[in-house]
Amino acid sequence: MITAKKKTGLIFFPAYDWEISPSHPERQERLLYTQDQVMEEGVLDIEGITEFKAGLATEKDICRAHFCVPDVESRITPSHNVSAGGCIEAARLVMEGAVDNAFALVRPPGHHAMRVVHGARGFCNINIEAVMIEWVRKNYPHIRKIAVVDTDCHHGDGTQDVYWHDPNVLYISLHQDGRTLYPGSGFPEEFGGPNALGRNLNVPLPPQTSDEGILHVMEHFVMPVLDEFKPDLIINSAGQDNHYSDPITNMSFTAGGYARLNEMLGPHICVLEGGYSIEAALPYVNTGIILALAGVDYSYIREPDLNPERIREAPRIIDYIKRLTDTLLDLWNSRDNYEVGGEEIVRRSRNIFYDTDGISENQQESVRVCTDCPGAYKIDSSASTGYHILAVHIPWGACPRCREQGRAWFEKPGRHNYSAVYLQDMDNDEYTVKIP
Amino acid sequence: MIVGIDIGGTHTDAVCIRGRNIIATAKTVTGDDLVQTIRDAIGALSINYAGIRRTVLSTTLSTNAITEKKYAPAGMIVSAGPGIDPRRYFITDDFHLVRGAIDHRGREYVPIDPGEVARVADGLKKKGITGVGVVSKFSVRNPSHETSISSLIEKDFDHVSLGHTLSGNLNFPRRIHTTFFNTAVMPVQKRFVQSVRKALAELGIRSPLFFLKADGGTFSDSAADRHPVETILSGPAASMMGGLALCDDLEATTLMLDIGGTTTDIGVLIKGIPVLEPRGVDIGGYKTLVRGLKVMSVGAGGDSRVSLSEQDIRVGPHRDGPPACMGGPSPTPMDALAVLGQFPQGDREKAVRAIAPIAGQLGQDISEVSRRIVSIMVGVIHESACRFIDEVNRYPVYTIFEMLHPEVVKPDRVMAIGGPAELLSPFIEESFDMRCVVPDHAMVANALGAALARTTRQITLTADTQLRRMICPELGMDEKISPTMSMNELKKRGEQALRDNASRLGILDKGEISILEEQVFNIVRGFSTTGKNMRLKLQTKPGVIDEWGEA
Repeated sequence: MITAKKKTGLIFFPAYDWEISPSHPERQERLLYTQDQVMEEGVLDIEGITEFKAGLATEKDICRAHFCVPDVESRITPSHNVSAGGCIEAARLVMEGAVDNAFALVRPPGHHAMRVVHGARGFCNINIEAVMIEWVRKNYPHIRKIAVVDTDCHHGDGTQDVYWHDPNVLYISLHQDGRTLYPGSGFPEEFGGPNALGRNLNVPLPPQTSDEGILHVMEHFVMPVLDEFKPDLIINSAGQDNHYSDPITNMSFTAGGYARLNEMLGPHICVLEGGYSIEAALPYVNTGIILALAGVDYSYIREPDLNPERIREAPRIIDYIKRLTDTLLDLWNSRDNYEVGGEEIVRRSRNIFYDTDGISENQQESVRVCTDCPGAYKIDSSASTGYHILAVHIPWGACPRCREQGRAWFEKPGRHNYSAVYLQDMDNDEYTVKIP
Repeated sequence: MIVGIDIGGTHTDAVCIRGRNIIATAKTVTGDDLVQTIRDAIGALSINYAGIRRTVLSTTLSTNAITEKKYAPAGMIVSAGPGIDPRRYFITDDFHLVRGAIDHRGREYVPIDPGEVARVADGLKKKGITGVGVVSKFSVRNPSHETSISSLIEKDFDHVSLGHTLSGNLNFPRRIHTTFFNTAVMPVQKRFVQSVRKALAELGIRSPLFFLKADGGTFSDSAADRHPVETILSGPAASMMGGLALCDDLEATTLMLDIGGTTTDIGVLIKGIPVLEPRGVDIGGYKTLVRGLKVMSVGAGGDSRVSLSEQDIRVGPHRDGPPACMGGPSPTPMDALAVLGQFPQGDREKAVRAIAPIAGQLGQDISEVSRRIVSIMVGVIHESACRFIDEVNRYPVYTIFEMLHPEVVKPDRVMAIGGPAELLSPFIEESFDMRCVVPDHAMVANALGAALARTTRQITLTADTQLRRMICPELGMDEKISPTMSMNELKKRGEQALRDNASRLGILDKGEISILEEQVFNIVRGFSTTGKNMRLKLQTKPGVIDEWGEA
C-alpha cells in the first residue's frame, strides 16, 4: 500500500468519441495508452490519489475568457465544454480544499486559443486554462495573482494573447524556438502589454534540449521569478511534446524530467496540453506527473526504450541555454525600468492565422495605458470568414476611467460596419453582444 | 430441486427450492467444522436428497483464511520492468522480483532470465513452499512471461497460479495481491471442496456442486479449486442476489438493505442488475482484482450497543452480544422495539430494565426514548445509503455522450431483508421517505440468493491488428490474427471461446452472452492508420436462473 504525501485529484477525460480526423494527432485514442498505464500501475489505488468526474463549462464560463465569433455555440463542440469543465472541476477541488493539487488530464487542448475566437488554431478552439482561471477569479476573489507555466513544446500564443494586458497573470512559456516550430512566436521581446510589462516571459529553447537544459531553466529562471512574483495559484500547462519520441517536435525531454519539473514547480493545477507520442511518451509522462504531484517516489518511472546517453544534449546547447537564462533573468529584473511613452491609448495591429480551420484574421487593438488598473482595451477584428467585429474588455478591478472608456467604446463603436459588438465587463460578470 | 446454503459468521441458512416454490428452509448455528455445519444445515431441511440436482454454497472459508491470515506460505515470482517500485506491494519475504519488461501493447522490452527464475524457485522449494504465484506487468496484454516462468517451475510445486488467468483487467498491484491470495488459499479450498464432496456423497447427494462468487454469480467446484480467491466476500453477494430473486419489480431502482445483528449491508439493484465495484473488491486491507458487488457495510444492526455520549444517543458500531431482552448484556435497538411492544419474542421486562437508565438520564419517557433509538439506528443506515448512492453517481465517464446523457442513480424504493427487517420497515419508510418492501422469506434471502444465482464468467479479448495478436488472458489464448480482423469477427471468436470453454470456466447453464465493454481504436504511424486496437469484454449475464423467473 502506497500513501501519497499530498492529496491529488485526477480528472481524467479521454473523450474517446472526439477527434479532429481519424489519423490526426488529436484523435480518439490519444489518452488510451495513458489510461492503460495509469490503470496497470495502480495509480488510482494509491491512498490520497482520487479520480473525479469532469464537469461541463457553461457558455458564460467561456465568455469570461473569449469573444467567440459569431457566438460560443458555433465555435465549440460539446467536447470543449467537457475539457474546459474538467479544468474547472480540478480548480474547484483545489479551491474547496478537497485536494492539495489536481491534474486535468483532458482533451481537446486549448493553449493556442486567443481572446478572440474565429475558429480553431493549433488544434485548439477555446483556451481551457483561461476559462478555468476566469472561473476561479469570479468565484474566489481573494485569488489575485496567478502564474501559468507552460511546458508544452509549442509556444502557447493563445494564453499569451488572453493575458497580454493582465499584470496579475504571469505567463511563462518554455518551448522549442519559434524559428524551428509552429506557431513561430514566443521570443523574449514578447514581454507583455504596456500595463503588464514583464508579465509575459518566453523561453525559446534550441531543438534537442533534454532534461539538463530544461531543468536548468526551471531552477535558474522560472523558480526565482515565481519566488518574486509570489502567485496565489500556480498552473502548469502540461504539454508533453518536449518528449524525445514526439512525432511533431524536435526536443529530447524524458518522463523523469517532466516529473522532476513538476516536483520543482509544485503547481496547484496541471492541465494537459499537447503531446502526440501517444504510445511512447504520454503513458510514462502522465504517470510521472501524477506521482510527482502526489509526492510519491517516481524514480522508477522510465520509458522502456530510454537511452539517456543517446538523447543527452550537446555541451554547446547547455552553454546556449545558460546564456539565455542569464539574459532572461536580467530582462525580468529590469521590468520596471521600461517606460511606456506619454500616450494614453497604445495601439497594435497584427494578423492571426487559424491553421486548423484555415482562417485569416486582422486585429487592430487599442489599450488604455493605466497606472490604477490593468486597463480597458478594444479589439477591432476582421476575419476571412466575413465577420468584422469590435470586442471591448473591461478588466477585473477596472478603475472608473477605464470603465468609462470601455463603456464608451461599447456604446459608440464608431462608423465601421461591425457585424457585432462584444463586451466583457469582468467585475459585473456581464458579457453582452449587440448587433448594430 | 436446488439447495442453497449460506454459511455466515453466526448462522447458516439453507433453502430448498423446486421451480418457483420454496420447499424447505432451515437456520442453524455455524460451527467450527464447516463440513459438519453443511451436513447439519442440509439435515435440518428434512428433504429427499435424491431429487437434488444442484447444490450451491456461499462460504466464509477463503474470506476468513485471508482476513485471519490462516493460509499456507506461498511464494511469488514477479517481473515488472520500469514503473512504480513493485517491492512496495510485497507482503511476505517469499515475494521475489525478477527481470522482464512488457509494455502496454504487450511488446517485450526485457526478456526473462531462466537462470534467475530457477534460482528463485530453488530457494522457495528449499523453504518448503508448495504453491507459487507468478505475475508480470501487462501480462493481460502478453502472458508469455508468466507462462514461461510457469513452465520453468511447475514441476517443482504442487500448484502455480498465473496472474493473467485470474482477471483480464489492468492493475499490476492488484494482480500481485489477487494471485498471492489465490495461491495461498488454494490448499485450504481444495481440502474443503474434497470434504464437502465426500460429505454430500455420504448423504446420497450426487448433484453438481457450485460456489458463490463475490460478483453474485456461481462457478463449479473444479473452477473454485483453481480460483478460490473469487469466493471471497460471497456473503454480501448472497444477500444482494437473494434480494434480486425476491424482487417483484425489475424495472425499479432498488436500494437493498441486509439488516443483521451487527451490521447492515447496503447495495443497489438498477433494473434488476446489482452494481459492481469498478476496480475489484478489498479484502484484509488489500485491494484485489476480484470482481465483486459494490456493498457498503455500516456498523448498525439489531443487536448494536446503544449508549449515551453526553446527552446524545449512540447506536453501534459495536455489538456486545444478543439484545438484553434475549439475555444479552447491553441495550440494543431490538430492546427498543421490545419496549414499544413490537418484538414479542423478546422479554419486555428485560428490555425495559436495559433502556430505563438511558431514559432516566435524559429525563424522558421510555417509549419516546425507544422510538428515538430506533430512528437513530435507521438514520445511521440512511446516511450511509446516501453516501453509497453518491459514490455510485460519481463513477467517472470517459465519453462525451455519457457526459451529456448522465444516468443518475436514484432509488425508487427500499428492499429490506435480514432478521429485524420486518420490524424496522415503518421506521425505514419514515427516514428514507420511500416505500420499504420486506419480501416473504426475507429471513433466508441469503441462502435463496446462493441457490438461484446463475453461473457466470467474464472474458477479456484484446486484438491488435498491427501486431497481429489476439489475447484472452482468462482463457490463456494468445493467437495470431489477420491484419484485417474486424470487431464483429472478434465478437464471434469471443462467443465461441466462451462456449467451448464452458466447463473449464465452470459455467453450467447456456447463459445469455452479453457485451460489457466494446472499444475500437486506430493505431496510427506518421499520419496513416496502420492497424486497429480492439478491446472486448464478454460475460454470461449475472442474475437469477431462468426457472425461477419464468414460473
